[in-house]
Amino acid sequence: MNMYRHELQSLRKATVIWTVAMIALAGLYFGIYSTVVKDAAGFTQILNSYPASVRAALGVSIANITSMMGYYAIIYTLIALCAAIQAMIYGTSILSKESRERTADFLLVKPVSRSAIVSAKLLASLSMLVLTDVVYFLAALVLAELVKGAAFSVEGFLLLNLTILFLQLIFLAIGLAISVFFARLKNVLPISLGVVLGFYILGALIATGDNGSARYLSPFRYFDAQYIIAHSSYELSYLWISTAIVAVGVGLSYIVYGRKDVHSVS
Amino acid sequence: MGVIEIKNLTKNYGKARGIVNVNLTVEEGEVFGFIGPNGAGKSTTIRTLLGLIHPTTGTATIFGKSCRVAPEVRKDVGYLPSEVFYYDRMRVMDLLMYSASFYKKDCKRRIYELAEVMDLDLTKKIDNLSFGNKKKVGIVQGLLHEPKLIILDEPTSGLDPLMQQRFFDLIDQENKKGATVFFSSHILGEVQRLCHRVAFIKDGAIIQLEKVSTLQENNYKRIKLQARGPVTNELFKFEGVADLKVANNTATFIFKGNINPMMRTLATLDLENVSIVEPDLEEIFMQYYSKES
Repeated sequence: MNMYRHELQSLRKATVIWTVAMIALAGLYFGIYSTVVKDAAGFTQILNSYPASVRAALGVSIANITSMMGYYAIIYTLIALCAAIQAMIYGTSILSKESRERTADFLLVKPVSRSAIVSAKLLASLSMLVLTDVVYFLAALVLAELVKGAAFSVEGFLLLNLTILFLQLIFLAIGLAISVFFARLKNVLPISLGVVLGFYILGALIATGDNGSARYLSPFRYFDAQYIIAHSSYELSYLWISTAIVAVGVGLSYIVYGRKDVHSVS
Repeated sequence: MGVIEIKNLTKNYGKARGIVNVNLTVEEGEVFGFIGPNGAGKSTTIRTLLGLIHPTTGTATIFGKSCRVAPEVRKDVGYLPSEVFYYDRMRVMDLLMYSASFYKKDCKRRIYELAEVMDLDLTKKIDNLSFGNKKKVGIVQGLLHEPKLIILDEPTSGLDPLMQQRFFDLIDQENKKGATVFFSSHILGEVQRLCHRVAFIKDGAIIQLEKVSTLQENNYKRIKLQARGPVTNELFKFEGVADLKVANNTATFIFKGNINPMMRTLATLDLENVSIVEPDLEEIFMQYYSKES
């Protein structure tokens, strides 16, 4: 518990910043929703002038762009990207920071096992990610209610936003697993941004290819907003692959971190 | 059973040498010195002992258990690393309380006592502390749970002489209360002052293990002489002479062995002055090393 509390404390500031940033970003888009609805024809025309692949990459569907859910799909794509970066940074930094800040000689000689350390840190990151998502969801819901023209499905809204947490779990696990292979990870930002943006761009590139197995290559394509809106459910096979990635990433982190040599600083 | 038992411990770092076949036993209540130049393998040995790194072969146990298998044995261990780094954004007291929270006992009174002795300001942020003050945090952090085994890795660097003295007094007190101390250093004066036994490590291997008293009492003499006529190297060419320096009419060297033939040799000279003193450990150590290398 002491380690868990300590880690929560260390993540507090970053979590506040991420949450506020995500809400502000969503707020910005919600702010222009009424304008979009008012000039639906013009807006659709502009979007139509984009190539189909760009629209797909941005999560835009012309058919329902002016409905609240259709419009939110665009916001969702951006928020999911932010949330994934946040989770990846937490994942790559939470274990590696002890070596980076040279505090490993403090923590790792305490009478606790390496697994207990990983568990406390993992749980703290997870708590903060869930907290981020819950606060964001509530804020987004309020914003959506404020600007909506017609009623929308709160259930569908929840289902869609829940996938942000799924994406975060995936990237948290990937981040953890990557970080344990470095003796000392000097800077987590390049690797976190690189991996997340890499998958994002990959996702955008394969976005046009419908339901082909290429979708498995990028977590950003596991949860298709249009599908979720239309069916109010997830595509099961992608839930399975997500679970598998999380299990492998976390499992690998426990094993590798447990066996890792922690070298002196000088 | 020893408090620390290291058996055939070897650690390879790829092609680079770590430590080779180290064997050590530290008995309860002992102050054990671990001496060697930088890079000899002192830290590697200590870090393996604490479970920070895995041995390639062999075992290192504390109270009969390996830290890797039974991390809870570390509850009776206090460790002061050679370079101390703590969570920069924390205040000293918060850090110490966090450290204490791992030991499931109330350490508050002890923290205040130790901070008083070491003259440490508990309200400051770690970030704003000087190197010496960080070291003090490390000392308090290592001792606050009254460990039965204290492991010190080059503990005095960064401490001014007054604080070094207070620190040694603290360690001495803890030892008198029953704590075992394992103390690595490259400064021999420190070890001479505190330790009962000392192991010399060089290039990853232990080259000698002796009682400090044996080292000092019997074997070695530092001889310095000034003759009325020229002195030659040939005169001192016998077993046991080391670190020989001859210049004009003077000669200095360390001598180990039967003192009688040496005295007879000296008697053949027409001496102006002679001094025969106990060399300090550093000199013995340097002599030993220069012979090895």
